[in-house]
Amino acid sequence: MTTDPLFLDSFVRLLDDVVDPAAGRRLIQHGEGGAQIWRALQESGFLDAVVPEEHDGAGLSREEIAPLLLACGERLAPASVGHTMAARLIAATAGARLAVDGPVALWPVNAAGRLRSQLAPPRAEADYAVVQRGSTFTLQPLVAGGDDDGFGRPAATLDGAAAPLQQFELPGVDLLEWAAAVSALWMAGAISRVLEMTQRYVTERQQFGRPLGGFQVVQHLLAITAEQAVLAATAARIGVAGEGAALDPLRVATAKILTTSAAGEVARAAHALHGAIGITEEFDLQLYTRQLKRLQLSYGSEAYWSEQLGAARLAARDGTSVDFIRARIAPTAAGLEERPLAS
Amino acid sequence: VLEAPLISLSDAFRATSLPPAAEHLRSDVRRFLAEYSWERPPHARARSWAGFDADFSRALGERGWLGLTLPKAYGGGGADAFSRFVLVEELLAVGAPVAAHWIGDRQSAPLLLHYGSEDQRRFFLPKICRGEIFFCIGMSEPNSGSDLASVRTHAVRDADGWILRGSKIWTTHAHRSHYMIALVRTSGTQAERQKGLSQFVIDLVTPGVTIKPIVDLCGDAHFSEVFFDDVRLPAEALVGAEGAGWTQVNAELAFERSGPERIYSSIVLLDLWVDYLAGQSETRRSHRALLGRLVARTAALREMSIAVTGRLAAGESPLIEAALIKDLGTSLEQEIPAEISAALGEDPDLATDPELIRTLAYVQQINPAYSLRGGTREILRGMIARGLGLR
Repeated sequence: MTTDPLFLDSFVRLLDDVVDPAAGRRLIQHGEGGAQIWRALQESGFLDAVVPEEHDGAGLSREEIAPLLLACGERLAPASVGHTMAARLIAATAGARLAVDGPVALWPVNAAGRLRSQLAPPRAEADYAVVQRGSTFTLQPLVAGGDDDGFGRPAATLDGAAAPLQQFELPGVDLLEWAAAVSALWMAGAISRVLEMTQRYVTERQQFGRPLGGFQVVQHLLAITAEQAVLAATAARIGVAGEGAALDPLRVATAKILTTSAAGEVARAAHALHGAIGITEEFDLQLYTRQLKRLQLSYGSEAYWSEQLGAARLAARDGTSVDFIRARIAPTAAGLEERPLAS
Repeated sequence: VLEAPLISLSDAFRATSLPPAAEHLRSDVRRFLAEYSWERPPHARARSWAGFDADFSRALGERGWLGLTLPKAYGGGGADAFSRFVLVEELLAVGAPVAAHWIGDRQSAPLLLHYGSEDQRRFFLPKICRGEIFFCIGMSEPNSGSDLASVRTHAVRDADGWILRGSKIWTTHAHRSHYMIALVRTSGTQAERQKGLSQFVIDLVTPGVTIKPIVDLCGDAHFSEVFFDDVRLPAEALVGAEGAGWTQVNAELAFERSGPERIYSSIVLLDLWVDYLAGQSETRRSHRALLGRLVARTAALREMSIAVTGRLAAGESPLIEAALIKDLGTSLEQEIPAEISAALGEDPDLATDPELIRTLAYVQQINPAYSLRGGTREILRGMIARGLGLR
C-alpha cells in the first residue's frame, strides 16, 4: 500500500512551512506555537485524511496515513496529529463528528479511570482528550497548564469537573492500541531524522585528521543505526495495517516493540557519536532523543507489548510461527493483496 | 558534500504485498509437505537449509519447484520472485531438507541464465530444474576469505581450453555436488584486485579435482576443500565474459542476502520452544515477552524481505538493502538460540524435553556460521556504511 506521492508531498510541504526547525524547538522545548501550527493543519484538511469519504474525509486507508505520521516525527510536528486523525476516524465510524476542530489526545483509561500510560501526552499538543471507558467515548477538556513530566514537557490532565462536550458509543476499538500505534509512527520518523543528523555529523566532524566516519568502529555503529531505523519504520507501518476504526493488537504490538527498542539503540549510538555537543540544550539532537525516550515509556513499553504478542503466539497452538505471522501480523493477512495499489 | 542518504526509508523498503499467484502456490507446497514422507526429528530439521536429501530435491523438481523463476523454455517455472519467496518460506518454516538443490536453484541457475552461453543454458538449466545435478560455488580460498578479490586460483589458456590450478575452501556441499562455479584469476596479478577475475563451471569428476570434506564443530561435513591440480577445462567452461567475474558475482548477491533463509535459520528451534512452553501449566511473564520480541522481529524482517523481493522482481539489484536485511536477520537467528538457552536454564530443576535440548544444542553451536556464510557481518556493515556515504 503506498500513499499518493502528491498527497504526501503537499503534506510534507505544509509541515515544512509551519514546523521549521525553530518552530519544532519552540513547541518541544517551550510548549509554544502549537496554536499556529494547528491552525494551518486544520485548514489544510489533512486531519480528516483517514475519515471515510461518506463522512467528508479524504478516505485514505490507515496504511496510507503512515507516511504522514512518519513525517510528523521527522519534523517534530505534534504527535497529536496522529491522535486527532485517529479520533476523527473513530468518531466518524460511530456516526459522530468530533465537536472540536482543535487537537485532541487519545485517552484510554483503566477500570480505576487512570490513563493507561506512565506518561500523559504533552499539554502543549492538545486541548481536549477523547476518553475511552469500555465502548463509551467522551470528549473532555484538559485543564490549563500542567506539571513537568520529567522530560521537560508539561503533562496534560483531564478536567474532571467539566462536563463532557460529547459522547458516543463504539464497540471493539481500543484507544491504547491507537495511542501506541501513532506513537510508533512518530518515533520511527524521529529515529530516521536522528540517523540523518548523525550521518551528517560523522561526515563533517574531524578528529585525528579525518572525518569520524572514516573510522571503522564509527561506520559499523552507523550501519547498525540505519538497520534499526529501517526496522522501526517497517514495524510502525505494520502497526496501522488493516481497515476500519479498530486496530489489530498484534500488529500494534509489533510496531511498539520494535520502535521502542530501536529508539533505545539509535539514541545510544547517536549520542555516543555526537559526543558532548549532543547533550547540550542548544543542539537539536536532544529534541528528538528525549521525545523518543518519553514515548518509550508511553502507552506500554516494549515489555508490555511483547508479553501480549508472546501470549497470543502461545495461544495459537496449531501452525508454525511463520503461519502465525502471516495470519495475524503481516499486512497482507487482511487480504490487502486483493486491492489495487492506491494511485 | 553529503550524498543523499542512500537508505531512504520510504523508497528502499516500500510496503509490498505478495501477489495472489504467489499465495496460490503456498497451499500446493503445504499439501506436498504434508504428504511427502520426509519426516525427521526436530534436531535434524533444525539443519534448515543445510539439510541434504537428494530424493527430496528431485521430488520438488518433479513438481516444477526447482528453477521456479527460470523461463519455461529451459525447464523452469516461469514464475516471479514472489512465488519463489513463498516456496522457500514454506520449506524453511518446517525445516525441509533443501541443501542438495539450494545453491544451484538460488544462484548457479540464475547466473547461467544471465551470463551463460546458449549452449550452457540448454545443457545445465533443465538438469538443475529436474534435480539431476547439484551445484556448489567456489569462492573462498585458504588465503582469501572476506577479501575475495585476492583469490589466487588461476586458469591459464591452453591450446583448446584452460588449465586450472589452485584450491577452494569452505565450499558448501562440494563433495555432494556435480558442478562448481568458481571465481578464479585469468589475467593480471592479485594487486589488480577485481580486474582479471573470471567464472568457470567445473565438472567435479574432471581428472585433477580432489575434494576433501571438512568436519564442522557439530560433526557434520557440509563444506569441503577442493584442489585443482592442472585441471583441463574446455573453452566452453568459461561463464560470461573473461575478466567480468567480479561484476557477475556481485550481480547475484542481492538474491543471496535478502531471502527468507536469512531470517528463518532458527525458526524450527523457536517453534519447538513454543510447543514446549504451550505444554506447560504456567509460563513466566519474561518468557512470553521474549517470545513476543522474537516474533515481532521476525514479522518485520519478513516484510522487509518481501519489499526487497519486489525490487528484485522489478529487475533492480538492491545490494545495500540486502546487506541490511542479512545483518538484522542473522542477528535474530543467532539471538533465538542464545535467548532460549538462557530462558531454559533459568530453572535448573525444570524437566525439559531431551529433543528440545538436543535441537537447542545444535543451533547454539552452529549459529556462528549464520553471519559468516554469504558475506560476513563485518563486511556487510562496511557496505552499509558506504551506502550511507561514509566510505
